[in-house]
Amino acid sequence: MPITNQTLENELDNVANSQEKAHIRKLWDHADSLMQEISVNLIQGNNIQVDELTKQALENGFDANTILDQGLIAGMAIVGIKFRDNLIFVPEVLVAARAMKAGMVHIEPILSASGIEPIGKVIMGTVKGDLHDIGKNLCIMMLRGAGFTVIDLGVDTSSEEFIEAVEEHNAEILGMSALLTTTMPNMGKTISSFEEVEMRDLVKIMVGGAPLSQEFADEMGADGFGKDAISCVDLAKQFVENEN
Amino acid sequence: MDQIDKDKYYKSLSKLDLIFRDISSTVTEISKWRCPYKNVSDRCTAKFGCRNQNRTDEIQGLYLCTGSDDLDYRSAWDS
Repeated sequence: MPITNQTLENELDNVANSQEKAHIRKLWDHADSLMQEISVNLIQGNNIQVDELTKQALENGFDANTILDQGLIAGMAIVGIKFRDNLIFVPEVLVAARAMKAGMVHIEPILSASGIEPIGKVIMGTVKGDLHDIGKNLCIMMLRGAGFTVIDLGVDTSSEEFIEAVEEHNAEILGMSALLTTTMPNMGKTISSFEEVEMRDLVKIMVGGAPLSQEFADEMGADGFGKDAISCVDLAKQFVENEN
Repeated sequence: MDQIDKDKYYKSLSKLDLIFRDISSTVTEISKWRCPYKNVSDRCTAKFGCRNQNRTDEIQGLYLCTGSDDLDYRSAWDS
C-alpha cells in the first residue's frame, strides 16, 4: 500500500536526503493506513491520538512488532531527521517522545507476556531548588528507548521524595540532574540521606547536568557521572550488566 | 494476550536507540546556539522564569522568547 496519508507525505517532503527519503518511503509503502496515521500523530506529538490509534491497531489484529516498526519507530525516525535539519527543536522532540510513550503503554503488556521484562528500573528527578528539566527529560527518553522502566519525579525533588520513590518502586538505579551550581550540592545531600536511612547499598546513583564533572560526582559519592543523555543510558546499562 | 517476536523486537530497540543517540548528539550541537527550551514557534517552554520571556505575548501559557541566541542564553535564566 503506498502512502495514503497526505500529512505523512508532506512530512516526508521534509527529508532532504534522497537516500533517507527512499528508505523511509519504502517502509511506509508496505504499511497500512493505520500505521501511517500512528506515525503522523507521533511526529506531531499528539499523544492522545497515538494512545487511541495504538490501542485500535492491536484490537484490529496488528501485531506489536508491526506497530512498533511501521508506526512508532518510523515516525520517530522522521522526528530525528527534522531535528537534525533544524526543522523542529528540543521541545518538539520531547513532545514526540511523550507520544511514543503513550503508544508503548499498550505494547508493554505484550512484551511482558512474551517474557521480555524491562532491563531495569530507574528513578529520575531534578534536585531540590532546580526547575531545569530538559537534560533529565532527554535522559528519560533514551532510557525508555533502551528498554528501562523510568519513574519521573519531575523537578524540584527533595531527598525524601527520591528515597520514597526508590523504596516504593524497588528501583535499582537513581538518576539526579542539576543545572545550577547553587543546587548541585543537593545531590550530595540526597546521597547522604540515602546513607542515613541505610539504603545507599540498595541503589546505584548516577548524576548529570551541565555544571557537573566526574570529580564532583566522585567527591559527593555518586556511582557514576553522565555528561549527556548518551552517557546516562550507557551508565545505566553498565550498572545493570555489573549487577547480573 | 498476543506475543511479540523477540528477535524483531530487539532489532527495533536497536533502531530506536540509534535514532535517540543521533538526537542526543544533535542536542549537544544545537544547544550551543539556541536555548533548548525555545520551541519551533520561538515560544518558551521552561517551567522557570527567564528575562528573555516576553510576558505580554503569551499563547497557550507559553511566552514569546525574545532571546537573540547571539549571547549565552543561560545568563538570562532566573533560577
